[in-house]
Amino acid sequence: MNMDRPTAAEIIETEAQQAIDLKALRAETEIDALLEELDRDLVGLAPVKRRIREIAAFLLVTRARERMGLQSEAPTLHMAFTGNPGTGKTTVALRMASILHRLGYIRKGHLVSVTRDDLVGQFIGHTAPKTKDVLKRAMGGVLFIDEAYYLYRPENEKDYGQEAIEILLQVMENQRDDLVVILAGYKERMDTFFASNPGFRSRIAHHIDFPDYSNEELFTIAESFAREGHYRFSPAAHEALVAYIARRRAQSNFANARSIRNAFDRARLRQAQRLCETGGVVDREALQTIEAEDIRASRVFSETIS
Amino acid sequence: MAADSNPTAITDAKKRYRAGVLKYAQMGYWDGNYVPKDTDLLAVFRVTPQEGVDPIEAAAAVAGESSTATWTVVWTDRLTACDAYRAKAYKVDPVPGTPGQYFCWIAYDLELFEEGSIANLTASIIGNVFSFKPLKACRLEDMRFPVAYVKTFRGPPTGIVVERERLDKFGRPLLGATVKPKLGLSGKNYGRVVYEALKGGLDFTKDDENINSQSFMHWRDRFLYGMEAVNRAMAATGEVKGHYLNITAGTMEEMYARAEFARDLGSVVIMVDLVIGWTAIQSISNWARQNDMILHMHRAGHGTYTRQKNHGVSFRVIAKWLRLAGVDHLHAGTAVGKLEGDPLTVQGYYNVCREAHNEVDLPRGLFFEQDWAGLRKVMPVASGGIHAGQMHQLLDLFGDDVVLQFGGGTIGHPMGIHAGATANRVALEAMVLARNEGRDIAKEGPEILRDAARWCRPLAAALETWGDVTFQYTSTDTSDFVPTAIAS
Amino acid sequence: MRVTQGAFSFLPDLTDEQIARQVAYCLDKGWAVSVEFTDDIHPRNTYWEMWGQPMFDLRDPAGVMVEIRACRDANPNAYIRVNGFDSSRFWEAVRHSFIVQRPKYEPGFALERTKGKGRTTHYQIRPYATERPEGERYTNGKR
Repeated sequence: MNMDRPTAAEIIETEAQQAIDLKALRAETEIDALLEELDRDLVGLAPVKRRIREIAAFLLVTRARERMGLQSEAPTLHMAFTGNPGTGKTTVALRMASILHRLGYIRKGHLVSVTRDDLVGQFIGHTAPKTKDVLKRAMGGVLFIDEAYYLYRPENEKDYGQEAIEILLQVMENQRDDLVVILAGYKERMDTFFASNPGFRSRIAHHIDFPDYSNEELFTIAESFAREGHYRFSPAAHEALVAYIARRRAQSNFANARSIRNAFDRARLRQAQRLCETGGVVDREALQTIEAEDIRASRVFSETIS
Repeated sequence: MAADSNPTAITDAKKRYRAGVLKYAQMGYWDGNYVPKDTDLLAVFRVTPQEGVDPIEAAAAVAGESSTATWTVVWTDRLTACDAYRAKAYKVDPVPGTPGQYFCWIAYDLELFEEGSIANLTASIIGNVFSFKPLKACRLEDMRFPVAYVKTFRGPPTGIVVERERLDKFGRPLLGATVKPKLGLSGKNYGRVVYEALKGGLDFTKDDENINSQSFMHWRDRFLYGMEAVNRAMAATGEVKGHYLNITAGTMEEMYARAEFARDLGSVVIMVDLVIGWTAIQSISNWARQNDMILHMHRAGHGTYTRQKNHGVSFRVIAKWLRLAGVDHLHAGTAVGKLEGDPLTVQGYYNVCREAHNEVDLPRGLFFEQDWAGLRKVMPVASGGIHAGQMHQLLDLFGDDVVLQFGGGTIGHPMGIHAGATANRVALEAMVLARNEGRDIAKEGPEILRDAARWCRPLAAALETWGDVTFQYTSTDTSDFVPTAIAS
Repeated sequence: MRVTQGAFSFLPDLTDEQIARQVAYCLDKGWAVSVEFTDDIHPRNTYWEMWGQPMFDLRDPAGVMVEIRACRDANPNAYIRVNGFDSSRFWEAVRHSFIVQRPKYEPGFALERTKGKGRTTHYQIRPYATERPEGERYTNGKR
C-alpha cells in the first residue's frame, strides 16, 4: 500500500465531525476494485452481487456514522448464505472476507471454513476445546460454517452439537470485533434451523440467498474452466455440453457449478484416454480440444431421467 | 588471468620429476579448469605477490606450501598418489580497487586433514605459507568446510537454543558486564561488583581476559566470592544469573582444576581466552560438554592477526574454526563500540556464529556457502565501549541472539553499578518491546529511550552521561565488495 | 521484591493492548503461542502448568487474549506467562516469553548456604511462597 496516502481512519479523522468524503473513503479502501473483481470473476449470481454491494455501502456509511457519533456500537456482521450446493457460497464468502478486511471490520481477512466435524467432539469435554480452537483460528477473519444445521440434532438429547452452538453464540455476541461468522447451507434446512435456534437468527444481520445457475450460466462456467486449463470445446462438444447440462440438472445430486467442474474433469480424462488409444503424432490442436465423444460417454446420457 | 606465465602443469613424468626447481604452477598446483568437489575444503587467500611475481604462480605457491610442496622437486612424490594430495589453486581475481592484491581460491582434498583437529587444519592451512618470501603479504579471508569434515567436530557444547532454555531467557538479547578495574580488586570487592550488576538487571558478569590468579586475588577467592554474589543476585531477582569464571591457566591440568571448582560451586558458565590455543580449546570444550557448562570464549589476542587487511587471518575464519572447535559464546565485535569492526563485516561474523547455513554474502565478507550440518549455534558477544544510548543501533544490527556487554557503561554509572545495570536492562526491554510493536527503532530509537528515561531515572542519568559518546574511526577491516551506495 | 523473569519484567506491567501487540509479533513470525501459569516461581521451575495446548495456526491475537483472560480468571494469584514457540528447523524452541500476570505481593526467595569442603559453599534458593501447599500460595492465607 502506498504509504504517502492517508489511511481510511485518517481521512475520517481529518474530514471529520462536520462532513465525510465518502468518495475518498471508497478510493482509500479500494473497495470498488474488489466489487468489480467480484462482478467480473463470478458468473451470474446477480441478486447476490446486488446484496453484497448493498452491504458494502451500508458498512461504509456505518463507518462514517460511527465517526460522526451517530453509531453507538459496532454493527453485527454475521451472515447466512443459503442456497443449493455449488452455487458459489464459499467463493463469495472468501470475497466477503476481503471486503470486510478492506473496510476495516476484520483485522486479517482470512477465511476459516469448517463443518460440524471440526467443531463437535466425540466424547464429553471434547467439544469445547475443538470449537474454541476453531474460533481462535478464525479470529481476525471470517468463520464459514457449511451446512450449519448439522450442529443441531434435536432428535439426540445428548448431542454435543448444542455445546458448540452455545459457545458460538457467546462469541458471536461478545466478540463481534474479533470475527464474523457466516452460516451456510440449503435454504429450507437453514430456515428450520433458525426457527429452532432463535439465538442464531437474532445474531444474523444479513441473509443472502444464492439462486441456482441457469443452464446458460453453467455453460459459461464450463467454458471458463476450459479456458483456465487451456482447453476448448469443439463445435460438436459444445452441443453435447448443452445437452449434458440439461440432462444433468434433472438428475439426482445435481450440484450446480460443482457438477460442472466434475463433468469437465472427467471429460479431460476421457480426452486423454482417447488420444493415447489413437496413438501417433498429436498436434497442439488435438491436445487442447475436447470432442463431443469425451462428453457423450458420460453416464448422464445413458441413465434415464428420474 | 594472464597466460604469459605458462601456468600449465607438466604432465610428462620424466620432465616433471627431473631433479631441480620448477614453478609451482608447473608442478601441478594451479588448475584453472578445476571444479571444486563438494567434499573439498576451500580457502580464499588475499595475496600480495612481490614485484615481478606472477599472481597465478603466487596462488600456486600458496596452494603448494599449504599442502604437499617444497621448494624443489622430490622423487618421493612418486611413491604417492601425489596429484590427489596437491592443493589446487583454481581461480585468481584481482581485489577490487586494490592494485597489487589478488584473491586466490584454493581447493584441498578432504583426505589431507585429520578428523576433529583444528590444530591439524591450521598447521596445514596457515602453517608455513604466511612467511613465504615470494609473497609480500598473505591473508586467509574465508574457508568452506565440507559437511563430511564438519561432522567430525562436536561443535558448541551448549549452543544458543539450549543456553536460552537453561537460563530461561527468551525474546531479548542477554546483558553482561566485565568487572572493572580489570586488575587489582580483591576477591571480596570483586564480588560486590558482580552482585550489584546482576541484581541491577544484568544476566551475566565477566572476568576479564587477564584476570587469572594474581597476588591481589587468587582464583579460588574470586570464584568463591563471585558465586556468593551470583546466588545472592538470583535470590534477589528470581532469575538465573551467571558469572564467566575465567579458568585460563598455565597448564591444562590447572584449567581442569579451576573448571571443576567452578562446576562444584554451581556456576553455569566458565570462560577461557583464545590464547590458550586450539588443542586446549577443544579439550575444555569436551569438558564443558560433559559437565553441562556454557563455554565463554574471549578472543584475546586475535587482533594481532585479524585486524590488518593485507596479512593474517580474517576473524570470520577464526569464528568458523571456533564454531567447529566448540565454544558457546564468542566475542565478535560491536560495530559501534571502541574496538575494530565495520558493521557489515561484523554482521558477517555474527552470521557465521548463528546461522544454520551461510549463503555467499560478499558485502559481509562471506566468500563461500557453508552448510553447518546441524552444528549448534554460537552466541556472539558484543563487548567494548558500548552504552545504553546505543541500544537501538545494537538491537537493529544484531537482533536478539547476542550478549550485549556494557562494562564501563554499567560500572561507571553516576548513580552506581546497580543503577547502571538497571539502565541497560530498561533500555533493552523498552527497545525490544517497541521493535516488536513494529516501530522503526533505527530511526525512533533515541525517542524510545527518552520516553523510558522519563520513568527510569538510572536510564536518564546514563543517557545524560554517555548519550553522545561514539567511536568514529575508520575501520581497517572492511568489505571489498560494497554494494552501490544508495542515497539515504 | 519483583521477580524479573521474562522479557519485559523491568518495564511497567504490560497493558492488554501491549500484550496483544507482542502476541501479534509472535503470530506474524509464524510462532505458536501458549499460555502457562504457576505458583512456584523458582528460577529453575521449567515446567509451568499449561493453560491448554500451544495455539497453532492463529492469525490474530484475539484468540490468545481470550485464553489469557480465562487463565487469569481461573488463577487470579498465579504468575502467568505467554510464550512464542518457533518450530522451524534449528530452533524448535521458545523464542519469546513474557509475564502477563503476577501476584500483588511477591515475598521473594530464601537463600540457604550449606558449608562444604574447605571454604566451599553450596547454595539453595527457595521461594518463600512454596512454604505453603500448591494452590494456597499468594492468597493471603485464603484458599
